[in-house]
Amino acid sequence: MSAFKRDKKEEEDGGGNPFQNIEKTTVLQEARVFNDTTINNRKCTHILTKLLYLLNQGEQLGTKEATDVFFSMTKLFQSKDVILRRMVYLGIKELSSIADDVIIVTSSLTKDMTGKEDLYRAAAIRALCSITDATMLQSIERYMKQAIVDRNSAVSSAALVSSLHMTKLAPEVVKRWVNEAQEAVNSDNIMVQYHALGLLYHIRKTDRLAVTKLVAKLTRMSLKSPYAVCMLIRITAKLLEEEDSGNDSPLFEFIESCLRHKSEMVVYEAAHAIVNLKRTTSRELAPAISVLQLFCGSPKPTLRFAAVRTLNQVAISHPAAVTACNLDLENLITDANRSIATLAITTLLKTGAESSVDRLMKQIASFVSEISDEFKVVVVQAIRALALKFPRKHSVLMNFLSAMLRDEGGLEYKASIADTIITIIEDNPEAKEAGLAHLCEFIEDCEHTSLAVRILHLLGKEGPRTKQPSRCIRFIYNRVILENPTVRAAAVSAMAQFGATCPDLLENIQVLLARCQMDSDDEVRDRATYYSSILGQQDKSLYNNYILETLQVSIPSLERSLKEYTQSPSDQPFDIKTVPIATIPTREETELEKHKAEGMIISNGPAKPAVVSREENFAEKLSAIPGIAELGPLFKSSDVVELTESETEYFVRCIKHCFTNHVVLQFDCLNTLSDQLLEEVRVQLDPSEGYSVLKEIPCPKLPYNETGTTYVVLRFPENDLPNSVGTFGAVLKFIVKDCDPNTGLPDTDEGYDDEYMLEDLEITLGDQIQKINKANWAAAWDEAAPLCVEMEDTYSLSSMSTLEEAVKNIIQFLGLQPAERSDKVPEGKTTHTLLLAGMFRGGIDILVRAKLALADGVTMQLTVRSTDGDVAELITSTVG
Amino acid sequence: MGLFTKFVYLLGVRKKEVNVLVVGLNNSGKSTVVNHFKNEEERVSEIVPTVGFSVERFQNQNLAFTAFDMSGHGRYRDLWEHYYKDCHGIIFVVDSSDRLRLVVVKEELDLLLQHPDICNRKLPILFFANKMDCKDALSSVKIAAGLGLDKIMDKPWHIAASNALTGEGLQEGVEWLTQQIRDVILSKN
Repeated sequence: MSAFKRDKKEEEDGGGNPFQNIEKTTVLQEARVFNDTTINNRKCTHILTKLLYLLNQGEQLGTKEATDVFFSMTKLFQSKDVILRRMVYLGIKELSSIADDVIIVTSSLTKDMTGKEDLYRAAAIRALCSITDATMLQSIERYMKQAIVDRNSAVSSAALVSSLHMTKLAPEVVKRWVNEAQEAVNSDNIMVQYHALGLLYHIRKTDRLAVTKLVAKLTRMSLKSPYAVCMLIRITAKLLEEEDSGNDSPLFEFIESCLRHKSEMVVYEAAHAIVNLKRTTSRELAPAISVLQLFCGSPKPTLRFAAVRTLNQVAISHPAAVTACNLDLENLITDANRSIATLAITTLLKTGAESSVDRLMKQIASFVSEISDEFKVVVVQAIRALALKFPRKHSVLMNFLSAMLRDEGGLEYKASIADTIITIIEDNPEAKEAGLAHLCEFIEDCEHTSLAVRILHLLGKEGPRTKQPSRCIRFIYNRVILENPTVRAAAVSAMAQFGATCPDLLENIQVLLARCQMDSDDEVRDRATYYSSILGQQDKSLYNNYILETLQVSIPSLERSLKEYTQSPSDQPFDIKTVPIATIPTREETELEKHKAEGMIISNGPAKPAVVSREENFAEKLSAIPGIAELGPLFKSSDVVELTESETEYFVRCIKHCFTNHVVLQFDCLNTLSDQLLEEVRVQLDPSEGYSVLKEIPCPKLPYNETGTTYVVLRFPENDLPNSVGTFGAVLKFIVKDCDPNTGLPDTDEGYDDEYMLEDLEITLGDQIQKINKANWAAAWDEAAPLCVEMEDTYSLSSMSTLEEAVKNIIQFLGLQPAERSDKVPEGKTTHTLLLAGMFRGGIDILVRAKLALADGVTMQLTVRSTDGDVAELITSTVG
Repeated sequence: MGLFTKFVYLLGVRKKEVNVLVVGLNNSGKSTVVNHFKNEEERVSEIVPTVGFSVERFQNQNLAFTAFDMSGHGRYRDLWEHYYKDCHGIIFVVDSSDRLRLVVVKEELDLLLQHPDICNRKLPILFFANKMDCKDALSSVKIAAGLGLDKIMDKPWHIAASNALTGEGLQEGVEWLTQQIRDVILSKN
């Protein structure tokens, strides 16, 4: 009975899929009939279909299985059945990467591709290219060349596209087919022309001049295929971006002329290219926008979608131009296609005035539940932009967001809402209370652990500074009762933050933490015990160091150091000071990342592996070099400094790696002369007073167009901090051997010495300081008062005209991390206090307070507190 | 096999299909030999080195042959064995002017004869001592001796001197092969 039921159920699920219950082993068994002397075409076709179905369902074949079935399949070449043969081609393509010795079918396929049967030829070419490797390509080259210029368009297209794939294997061989591709561009068939252009461009794309010539020729030729024209527009647009000529160049004229093409596809591509050019002015934008406007009213949904999506993208860069389309966009809000409607609304939100916000929000609310998550994310991003633009509207937007939070939705969607709320809270102090309240409510009913943890962390940071911190605690403690261990642990940490910041709540927190010590989870109990014992000490500095401040070191480095420590046990305790400090992403980088995602509906593919910090990368590289590993852990690596112009004979860049007592200069040299081979490349430094050169590690060989690295190890001046800031003269020294530009082999064994002057290299204060994020700067400042040396000085920065400029320059000069968002200068103020924190090499803490005042130029009072008096003096003296 | 089908075969109304394997070192003339068996209109004028294998069909005395013309290049000789299992006969082409590589031929032949898919079957093997027109060509007798063909006891074999360019000697050899295969099939039935 039960079996009968299951059968019935499968029948219902199957929906008539005849391949549902097939198994790999059975199919491989069945494939043995391929070996029969007489081939049953129908049967073999069916078995091949099953095999392909399995492979496409993700079934994995072992190499032996695949090879066996592949060789049985090769026997099917004796059949003349067209359908079976084409299935064989598909089978070959599927198995070509798994089975061994697939080149066995080369001759059979070349026979088919040059044969009389047109139905075979294109497919045979594709199969042939999938089994061919770089060494075999030579032997089929002749056939490929013929196929590219074949009269049959399917054959020609197949050969062109296959060639494109082959460029990955053997770019040099495919390059030789350029004449054939050139001929194919003149084909009458639209697909052949398109594919030929694609191949031609791919072959030449590394050669700017050749691409320019190609474009110049084709723009005059008027291609027949709209696909090819679209491709040409893209190439042209890329070329325009690269070269710096004005928009009156013939290239731009070509794109503009395409706006009047008879194919809609081309017109759209041209409009899209124009609006996306970085340097487009509003005058040039006008015709493109009017084309898009026209498309907005098109009966075809694809055109409407394309137009509105492009407008949505442009809305950020050219809001004024898009405003012209507002009326059309308004019409699209009610479009039956929700994707179009969403994009229309978000575009309007980006361009709209403050007054229309309420109305639009209402419109969105009416259909937000009907659209998919990706579009909801677009809406959320638009709201974020809006909130930043019109801070006064925060209550409307915040209410809307909280309503969206309560709806159903995936993690990405919820995370983007939470992100937006967090951004609004950070940007707009007025919205803080309301925003935190919404987030508190949200975690009451949040199924995503990662998101809940993030919000709890934020509540811990921001909550204690609200008017009524006790309100948040209720929400947080609820988590401890109701959630899974990860969230409970995060909640415990958040509560401890309250305990540390608000003395009047301390007693209550202690009670709650005591309850948490009864938790069933180890981590939760550990954290509760840890925090409750620290809070029990009633010591402000302990609070600061162990509750409020988070770990500063870079996590991957910490992991590596701990692993090394456990593998080579020593009697000394592990010192966390030896672990490199995590770099803090600059504001520009974070902005850039945000901007990238704005308004785009792109699936981002699989998540990238966690980014390892730059220091971590360098540390690994440097530790592999003898003589550098002994210097201790890497403290900081500077940005790249160019020591030559980028287009000179030798291109040299420098990175300064700072260690506790040493500095390692890494020179990346590029040889741009094709007729020279450089040997023993090194940089001779003329160090300033106090510095001593310990070691030079030359680069043994530097052929044309390759980057080699040479290092110089220097010791910082001992007990003489003021001299650690200095300027070095630098000369690149090397042995030149003239060589043949084509082969790169030197003509003679004898070389001659030569040198090349480089620009001066500076070791600055910033190179020796690592940024540190202090969440609670004021507490650290007060705490530092008794322990540190304080230096104070007043400067007048006459060259600065605004406070923002001054703040930016100071941060850059000192290389310190601004704390408590003091790097943002509120508008219209004439005084500002900048709070900075960092660490000098050797682990010396630095705190800096800069009070700025604006009157003819900027006046600055700089107060430095540091555990080391010399460091403090160094800072005050270098600023002057 | 049913009585009717057997009757049909005996009368030669319907052709029996058989697979033969064409092997030999590279540049011994395998593809040229196979090319010669094909119909006038299907022949190709220019023979290029085979990469892997190619399948050709031809007929001889009411027997439909499917010839697997294997590549003789050193790199691909390991692949012959994939096709041993279901063949009814082997055509082994030897370049009789290439004295130097006769030992290689012998080695390959021994490997073939020892292969589990071959050694226990009564497969007819036809040798073509090809390129007999060359000046310094060895005679078929000498080749048979050089390859130690007299030691093959369990399989019928035959050696024919041939010139695949003109077709001389080919017909004689393939007629022998046809007869042998026919005998085997009939004895099975």
